[in-house]
Amino acid sequence: MTAIRTDDLRKAYGDVAALAGLSLSIDSSELYGLLGPNGAGKTTAMELLTGQIVADAGSAEVLGVDPAADPLGVRERVGILPEKESPPSFSTPREYFQFVGAVRGMADDEVDERTERWAERLSFTEKLDTLSTDLSRGQQQKTMIAGAFLHEPEVVFIDEPLANLDPIVQERVKRFLTNYREAGNTVVVSTHNVDVAAELCSRVGIVNAGELVAEVEPSSLSADETLLDAFVANVDAGEEWDGDA
Amino acid sequence: MLREEWRLHSELLGGGRFGAFPLLIVALVAGAVWLLDFSGTDPGAVVAGMHALAFVFGLHTGSIGFVGRDAVANVLGDVTLIVFSARTLPLSQSRLLGIFVVKDVLYYAVLFLLPMAVGVAPAALAGAGVGLATIPLLWATLVTTFVLGIGLTIAGVGLSANGLPGRALLLGLVGGAVAAWYTGVPVVGYTPYGLYLDPGPESAGASAALILAAYAVGAATFDPQTQSADRSVGPAFRRWLARVGDPVAAKTLLDVRRSSGGVGKLLFSAAVLLGVTAGLVDLAADITGVAPSVGVSFGAVLGLTGFTTYNWLTTNDDVESYLAHPIDTAAVFHGKLRAFLLLGPAVGLAFYAVGVAWRGTPIAEAVVGAVVLVGVACYVFGLTIYLAGLSPNEFLFDTGLYAAFGAAIALPLVPILVVAFAFAPVSSTLLAALGTGGAVLGAVGFGLYRRSLGKWGAYHRA
Repeated sequence: MTAIRTDDLRKAYGDVAALAGLSLSIDSSELYGLLGPNGAGKTTAMELLTGQIVADAGSAEVLGVDPAADPLGVRERVGILPEKESPPSFSTPREYFQFVGAVRGMADDEVDERTERWAERLSFTEKLDTLSTDLSRGQQQKTMIAGAFLHEPEVVFIDEPLANLDPIVQERVKRFLTNYREAGNTVVVSTHNVDVAAELCSRVGIVNAGELVAEVEPSSLSADETLLDAFVANVDAGEEWDGDA
Repeated sequence: MLREEWRLHSELLGGGRFGAFPLLIVALVAGAVWLLDFSGTDPGAVVAGMHALAFVFGLHTGSIGFVGRDAVANVLGDVTLIVFSARTLPLSQSRLLGIFVVKDVLYYAVLFLLPMAVGVAPAALAGAGVGLATIPLLWATLVTTFVLGIGLTIAGVGLSANGLPGRALLLGLVGGAVAAWYTGVPVVGYTPYGLYLDPGPESAGASAALILAAYAVGAATFDPQTQSADRSVGPAFRRWLARVGDPVAAKTLLDVRRSSGGVGKLLFSAAVLLGVTAGLVDLAADITGVAPSVGVSFGAVLGLTGFTTYNWLTTNDDVESYLAHPIDTAAVFHGKLRAFLLLGPAVGLAFYAVGVAWRGTPIAEAVVGAVVLVGVACYVFGLTIYLAGLSPNEFLFDTGLYAAFGAAIALPLVPILVVAFAFAPVSSTLLAALGTGGAVLGAVGFGLYRRSLGKWGAYHRA
């Protein structure tokens, strides 16, 4: 069953085309990677699919809902981990989860129970009552991850989920994402980290200059093929620099 | 930093609109000076008013001290890019803040205070009683008055952050200055305005000593890095949510309560306006020879606390920070409205009560003044959110917005102040009209708020 579909989605900021006709289809229970260089249009695609911004042209559906026509309807059913945002500076992680629960209409005891569970999973129980402005970037990222999954949505959009996390927590998050997909949910991961996409995703869409230029299933690559090869073959990397210091 | 500041605002707002700002100030000052001269106002009072304005402006700019650490870490880091990138350089936060203050002084000295001084020129040429030759001195004393304002605020913040002894010392110094002023000590003679009035080595030395003293106290006591590591607090969100019934409003009020300066920064802004109002009323009394209506004039001017309160309610977030949740722009604005209604009129009315108790006014004028205050505050809120959304500070840099805001504020405020200054004691008919006008202003404010929902909703999704 199709969970997410876009057809010729276009978005420009002034003269810059962030998306130049993105068409893709993501099934339920997929862990789909949007892989592309900086500025390829990955974040814009996520913002369009979650109704944060509207497209100039084209169409999209998430769980059968048009995010342009019913942005709140989409955001009620999905979870979002934005790349740029951090938890509110003067709220604690516990209060942030209470805020998330309040705007999503969750019961208090349900929020409290999931707060404790996520704090244990990501090892930040002792920081639950610390103002977010005093947390490290990694602890803030843990808070944002937990906030995106707190209501256990059917579809989750996550932008660079492993940024700022230590290796142990990275492994836990990877395992969780795989398990979450296997439980029947859809996860869309935006990243420019080829290794993360290859290890995590069931299917990877390579985005370049606002278009989907290739789709790869990492598990079906032969022994002498890598996702990096496919990425380099499809992406204009600009002038080559061999790493001279 | 200066180059970046210019590029930031000219890129953000369009070079022409930002570049025209000093010209707008020249035009506004020239018009005001001409009008006041035409109405027979003593040119000395005009110059005194300009110094008062520069001083208040400095106090306000200095209130960056209230948000020192938060600003560097959260607000300036995102907006003032050199400040942010300089954090990776071998510079202390104190030095960064110092550089930021110097940059602000240079910036405002050229773009705001120089046009203010130059704005006097047309009236001077027309023989209005202010000599052309005094304009360089006027600029110098306006700049140093501005510098004094910043220094006094930072010193005040520094002292108040040093426990009970610091606060006691601050209270003693402020009390001493007020007592000296009341008992006829020429306090003004020790300020840069004193230098303007009586140029010479003595007045220059006195004002320099005062400025140096303020900055010495500030340097010794102000520490933007002051904070306990990992501030832990008990969960309060649900308690506040139960009180206000809106998640965005509850979060906004928590932000104000917990960010540097706490609720005190709201009170400080209102206290500055109270001082300005008192000065304005005294000036008007001097000019007209008639005691103005304290109730109506204080109510009208203190209604402007609606702007400062709204400014503090929007410092810690933006619409984008809510878009990961099922919340749209209208819901964010609704939360801000609710937070404003809880804080804005209350802050204004508290200082209004102080002003009325201080200066005294007939009970009917006091009641109508309170109605006018609430109406003006709601009007200012609606106007600000309509013109600038959640970024009210844009007014400072966008010529078009500033002019539109200024005109829209002047439109209701000037007639109210004319009544307060020229028709005191105010007749019951005029009081009824003012009360009705206050209610209408409040309604217009809500109308503007409602119109802003569609406007800014479309803007943030574009």
